[in-house]
Amino acid sequence: MTGKEILLKTLRCESAERVPWVPFVGVHGGSLVQVDATTYLRSVDHVVDALKVAHKRYQPDGLPVVFDLQLEAEVLGCELVWAKETPPSVSSHPLAERCDLSLLPEFSTEAGRIPMALEATRRLRNDLGDDVALYGLLTGPLTLGLHLRGDEFLMDIFDEEDSAFELLDFGADVACKMVDAYLDAGIDVVAVVDPMISQIGPEHFQQFVAEPLNKVFDHIRARGALSSLFVCGNATRNLEPMCATRCDNISVDENVNLKQLAELARPAGKSFGGNLQLTVVLLLGDPMDAQRDAVRCLDQAGEGPGFVLAPGCDLPFSVRPENLEAIAPLVRDPYQLEIARALPENLNEVGVEVELPDYEDSSAVIVDVVTLDSAGCAPCTYMVKAAQEAVKVFAQPAEVREHKITTREGLGYMKALSVSAIPSICIDGKECFASIIPDRSELVKALQQAASVKS
Amino acid sequence: MDDALLRLTEAVKTGKRKDAREATEIALNAGTDPETVLAALTAGMDDVGKRFRANEIFVPEVLVAARAMKTSMELLEPALVSSGVKPKYTAVIGTVAGDLHDIGKNLVIMMLKGANYGVIDLGINVPEEKFIEAAREHNPDLICLSALLTTTMPAMKTTVEALRKEGVSARIMVGGAPITEAFSQSIGADGYATDAAVAVDVANQLVGA
Repeated sequence: MTGKEILLKTLRCESAERVPWVPFVGVHGGSLVQVDATTYLRSVDHVVDALKVAHKRYQPDGLPVVFDLQLEAEVLGCELVWAKETPPSVSSHPLAERCDLSLLPEFSTEAGRIPMALEATRRLRNDLGDDVALYGLLTGPLTLGLHLRGDEFLMDIFDEEDSAFELLDFGADVACKMVDAYLDAGIDVVAVVDPMISQIGPEHFQQFVAEPLNKVFDHIRARGALSSLFVCGNATRNLEPMCATRCDNISVDENVNLKQLAELARPAGKSFGGNLQLTVVLLLGDPMDAQRDAVRCLDQAGEGPGFVLAPGCDLPFSVRPENLEAIAPLVRDPYQLEIARALPENLNEVGVEVELPDYEDSSAVIVDVVTLDSAGCAPCTYMVKAAQEAVKVFAQPAEVREHKITTREGLGYMKALSVSAIPSICIDGKECFASIIPDRSELVKALQQAASVKS
Repeated sequence: MDDALLRLTEAVKTGKRKDAREATEIALNAGTDPETVLAALTAGMDDVGKRFRANEIFVPEVLVAARAMKTSMELLEPALVSSGVKPKYTAVIGTVAGDLHDIGKNLVIMMLKGANYGVIDLGINVPEEKFIEAAREHNPDLICLSALLTTTMPAMKTTVEALRKEGVSARIMVGGAPITEAFSQSIGADGYATDAAVAVDVANQLVGA
């Protein structure tokens, strides 16, 4: 079964052989192809190139094509201010003075940057579409309403109810046009992204937002595709009414407890996804932080079908690629997951100080292999074996030492050697191969280099 | 408290601007001391802040409450000025350079006004020089910096640094969705408010109210 099939099965809340992984590479794609956000979000070529890089490096089961909640607003007359590391922001609201829909230009999926997103979809469908499910992202009716009308819109729901309903229904119609265009271009999953839902209470959600959303979800279903409701921000209070809408999947960020969502979504027959921490972990943390957070997500999601591992929202531009690379092995390899589970919360608090040997002084090259346990964990077994066999071929004195992080001493070595991933091979005190098992010639070359420094 | 004042407090709590205007008019026409009317207004906004913090009400409810308060203030402010009542403290506020978001900032403004602060709103996308200029001109007790984007957090840092370098003595409060206590401390801000409801408490602590 391909990753795409696993993801689509999971989105339908059916049991699959493993948890699928969907990194929301939006504006971050720019950094993957070394262009700023302004250039990136206007270029088919850059988007296609970046997502191919993301496909190769992050091994995803699904990818969003363009993550920009200003696509529709721009066509409808909102002015945008562009930035280097974020999607553009809306700086003017065409309905700010008067909520009169006739003031808006006619919406067309052939205007603005929407053709760019559609062309990128067609090309990616051709290049990656067999392995990866493509997500088409559109702006949800509430967020589009705010773009068009500004903050006033949140007050209209108190004293201009009819015009609020009208604007939200208009937003749903715009969304349905986006659905048609995306599905015609080859999108597999349509994500209705409506972050402003986290700013309203459940009564307003029920009264104003649920029906326009259902209009869009019904349309997606009628066209035979799957739908997802993305809400960034603290949507906890709206989880129940969100689960009562007719979407297939709900995706949330780190403000929501996944356990709580799991308990509501599964009985409602909905799959759900999230919620790797965007800033603290993926942007500012290291690969081990990312893996620990992935374990947290998997544990909170609990047993049962329908969980998609994903970041909470659009990945920050400068997120460290190695943090995202560290995630795929966890969903694909139970041993890697076991290793991640064994990682201490904070290595600095481990409290065991080990004294490293004087590597320079030692006549033999010392190979420290830091593992979970080579006896029970396959990647660790092969890592230790690789080191042992390379030492046999290596014609000079060398010694292999295994340090298991299931022991306090092993953790001490992990800390002292600044190991970045498990299993890891350090040669004379320097980490040379982390996580990926090197081939013998590479390893022997590294040993020779270490020996040459000694002599 | 007389009926008009109770009605004013209630109008702010429920976000009814017409009621707020009428109640303010009645109270002022009846010769009620403007400071007493302000206290009724503040009591309403205080209640809104508490319920917002307790997750009982959300952004739209706070916005309509703030609008009701603004409607009342339009009548009340001239009366306060003519009776010589001045806000006890002054705050300068703005969203930092590169950030165009203003809902959070506007909520903080209304909360501060509701707590009898004079507020100078510098708007959005405010460069550090503008904060410095406003600090010189208004000599505020408090400077409030807002940011919604992780990418504009560095601008918050440079603004704090610039204000300090210029010797601005006002206390500096920061807030916004991506901001944390740790970040606030790391950039040398004096206080951090998790949301608009908490902002008044933090502001009061900072200015010693």
